[in-house]
Amino acid sequence: MPLAAQALLPFFALLVAAAIVRWRPRRNVNGWIASGATGIAGIIALVELLRLAPGEHVDVPYLTTFPYADLAVRLDGLSLAFTAVTLITAAALMLSRQQVRGDRRDPWFGWLLTSAAACAVILADNLLLLFIGLQLLTLAWSGALDETARRRRGLRLSVQIADIGLLLAAASAIQSVGTSAFSGVPSDTFGLATFLLVLLPVAVRVGALAWVSSGPQAAVTFEPAIAWVAPAGYLLLRLLALMGGRLPDRPTAVALFGSGALVAIGFAVLALGRPAGLRLAAPLLAAQAALALSLSTGSEPLMTVASTWLWLLLIPLAGLVSIRVAGRSLAETLTLLNLAMIPGTVGFLALWLGGLALAASGLLFGMIPVALAVVLLGVAALSRAAGIRSIQLDPAGIWAGALLVIAAFPMLAMNPIVLPAAATVRLVPSGTVSASLLGIATGFGGWPALLVSVMTAALLGLAAWRIRDRLPLRRARDVIGWRIGWPSRPRLRPPAIPAWSRFLVWGAFLVVVAFAMARP
Amino acid sequence: MIVYFPFVLFAAGLLIAYGSAGVRRQVATIAMLAASGWSLVLLVDPSTAAWAIGPIAATLLLPRAGERVRSNFEGLTRRAVTLTVAVLVALFLATRLPVGENPILLSVVPWLMGALGAAWLTSPTDEPERLQGQALLVAAAAVLILVAVPAGPLTAGVAGAMALVPIAGERGRIPGRFRPAFSGVLMLVAAAAALAAATGLTLRAVNLDDLAFDAGGPVLLASAIVLVAGSAVSAVGIEWAALLAVLALITAAPSLRWAALAALVAVATGLERHAERPAWLAVGLLSLTPVLQALASPAWSARVQAVAVAVGLVLMLFAARAGMLRVLTLPATTLLVMLLLSSLSTSNLVRFQWVAALGAVLLIAQPLLSSLIGGGRPELIRDRLLGGLLLLAIGARDSLGLGDLAVVLLLIDLAIVRVDGLTRPASGWSGRLILLARSNWPPSATFAGATLAVIGAIQASLMLGLLAAGMLAGMQLAPLLDRPALAPGPERLRSSLRWVGPILSIACGIAPALVLRMLRL
Repeated sequence: MPLAAQALLPFFALLVAAAIVRWRPRRNVNGWIASGATGIAGIIALVELLRLAPGEHVDVPYLTTFPYADLAVRLDGLSLAFTAVTLITAAALMLSRQQVRGDRRDPWFGWLLTSAAACAVILADNLLLLFIGLQLLTLAWSGALDETARRRRGLRLSVQIADIGLLLAAASAIQSVGTSAFSGVPSDTFGLATFLLVLLPVAVRVGALAWVSSGPQAAVTFEPAIAWVAPAGYLLLRLLALMGGRLPDRPTAVALFGSGALVAIGFAVLALGRPAGLRLAAPLLAAQAALALSLSTGSEPLMTVASTWLWLLLIPLAGLVSIRVAGRSLAETLTLLNLAMIPGTVGFLALWLGGLALAASGLLFGMIPVALAVVLLGVAALSRAAGIRSIQLDPAGIWAGALLVIAAFPMLAMNPIVLPAAATVRLVPSGTVSASLLGIATGFGGWPALLVSVMTAALLGLAAWRIRDRLPLRRARDVIGWRIGWPSRPRLRPPAIPAWSRFLVWGAFLVVVAFAMARP
Repeated sequence: MIVYFPFVLFAAGLLIAYGSAGVRRQVATIAMLAASGWSLVLLVDPSTAAWAIGPIAATLLLPRAGERVRSNFEGLTRRAVTLTVAVLVALFLATRLPVGENPILLSVVPWLMGALGAAWLTSPTDEPERLQGQALLVAAAAVLILVAVPAGPLTAGVAGAMALVPIAGERGRIPGRFRPAFSGVLMLVAAAAALAAATGLTLRAVNLDDLAFDAGGPVLLASAIVLVAGSAVSAVGIEWAALLAVLALITAAPSLRWAALAALVAVATGLERHAERPAWLAVGLLSLTPVLQALASPAWSARVQAVAVAVGLVLMLFAARAGMLRVLTLPATTLLVMLLLSSLSTSNLVRFQWVAALGAVLLIAQPLLSSLIGGGRPELIRDRLLGGLLLLAIGARDSLGLGDLAVVLLLIDLAIVRVDGLTRPASGWSGRLILLARSNWPPSATFAGATLAVIGAIQASLMLGLLAAGMLAGMQLAPLLDRPALAPGPERLRSSLRWVGPILSIACGIAPALVLRMLRL
């Protein structure tokens, strides 16, 4: 099959499924169709990723419009890894939703469009197309054709406005080098200002993770994983790839690393007083995303691998916390474990690799704020863990277990998915990271993942057995009494302005016009 | 000595016109027109006398009442002050823009005619005087440009005939049963023009004696836009006004071009009076450009032209809030300005960009200020933001013409898609399509135009790009601010072809590159 057709297969699967569920709404089979099609699309992306040679990238143009606005798809390690993980997570979310009984709403069409839009964002070949994809993604998840619609209006507007930062970056690239295509932008095109502009949509999406905690939780929430974490991670890593894998200068990198760690500490503190459930999980997840942002600032190959690992695995983690689970269930406990970022979880592995990279550079003290954030995250998550009342295998439980298995056997994700993606961001010399069945080895040290996972499980099991009567250790009490949401509208009366002020404005305009005319 | 006779005749006509009524005043007005024609003949060529036919016919078609209209002290004072100021401005301009070595008293006569038209339009005693003022202004635009840029008798005659248009706009309505057919024909012509533009078909310039028409470059697409706008959303049987816009776009003679635009403004302001002053000011400034080009000192001519064009466009955007001004005059004016800008030097283009940027800020500041002041009907912030983006995009002369493409998309949005208010809640596929077409989401023309405007503005300068980005951000919030202003009002036109706007919007948003191709830059 020609490559141009192969690249479109995920879109084809998603859009055909969307057409079917739209054509025959409210059928029980729609959920299966949606999850099946999304899963197939994800597997197609994964197969493409596995077939890709190391360092290979393919630009597939479909329609040449302007030199910098071609309708084209970018197939490389980064885009295919993110597409595969995002679509597989979306399929798993749809499967979980299909298991929910009693909810007669029919979310499949919107979810399929959201998946397709996320796929379009990740596979876009230039920054302009990426901006358009992000707008389509916002339209798809919000469903707000009517722009005055109240549902998540504040969040939607924030995301839309923040995305303009990306448009400015695209315009700046076009002005500098005449294109915004990923293949045509030299690594020195983007300076600090452009980087910060692109950081805006990333930061808003990370913030959105905490925002979702307000209001009652749906049985399955689709947006956190598919519409916020995946685009945020991809956008940041893609920009880094365009910048050659490093930030413009060292002070910027240090400042961003520190800021990310501080934000993570802030979210962790916010989580300390939250009850179990999405209200607790959301700030914990946002804290992990902030740590991923911190790790992304490093210029060492190992740091790039660490950040890519964390961003990619945050997508299924965000999907996991988007499923409502019963209290005192196995799923809840395993979810809290994943969120705690303790040894034996996917998050901790990234921090370990980041720590090794910093230690090799003589900057191990940089891990102090990260360690503080991790301790707070652990306290916040584990102190809410309650004794398990019943052991049932539900989708969330299997999902959380799968993430712990990946942490125990990192080679499952590292070799086929993470390393090709990281190698797209920057050159990762062979031997930087090698994953085996027992753990991970790097040039600066190793990580016995299986051993750590087994020991952690044993320690936690023993501790839980010893203190089972006192669980949960802490009651929910807000440490910081902030409400995440729009501030209430201030009841201020606008100042009284006289009618003649119109003429004043016109007068000022005419004065400036006179100056413009007089200036030679 | 004979060269002063036109001035003497004009002065005598002015005195009699102000001191009498009925036929005597009509004759005096004709005498003033004859004086202007005489002046034109002496300044340029006897063959241009054909210009006077149209204005004189218009005056004959506007009979005056036999009795003078009663007036009060305030009214008289206002009229006197208006006339005095207009005459002083005319004298100033005549002295600054001399026609060769001709005496000022000869070359000032056409300027005085324009001043008289402006005075009658600004402070009329009754409706016929206002209409006469419009006819005089259109005629003045033609004669002043004819003095600066001479043309043949046919061109002069047709340019002069534009003075009849204000009367036609007042009285000439297409009968109801013929309107759908006429609209359909206009749409077909528009489709043919768009097709010709898309296929790259080259149309040769057409010459009718000395009257030349040229549909090269972006003119074909521009004509298609005004034809669609005119046919789909024209008001109460004056769809024919779209032909005036086309005439302004395709004619090669500046005298006919700007006279046709002035005539278009006269027709539009016949229905939409609250913004007629800025609209006429805009036309005045824009039609000054060929005069400046020909008569002004090279030391300052080019920079004043750049500023005049920028201010003219700002004023037109300020005036074109609704009605025919928005539907027809705004696209015609903007597209004409787009054609004009290609001749600006780089330094003057920067001058234009800065005045346009300030104008964009002013456009947005006005409705915000109005909402703080209170009173009056609230304005749509989104329309103002679109206007601001249009101003920023039009000055961005990038190599690929993305700024121009943004201008065309924003014009389609302003003049065709977003004309009538959305009063009913959307339901079903059609409702969703209309909502999408009028939203900021891709693939609406609004989204494509605004995005390209930001990119184009950044090509011009970082500051303009940031300003455009700020406006794009404002557009996301505008739907919330605009809710009070979206209530149906008497001045909002109803689109007669409901589907044309949304489909055009989505089509342009999906395939902006095709529109760029049609622009033939």
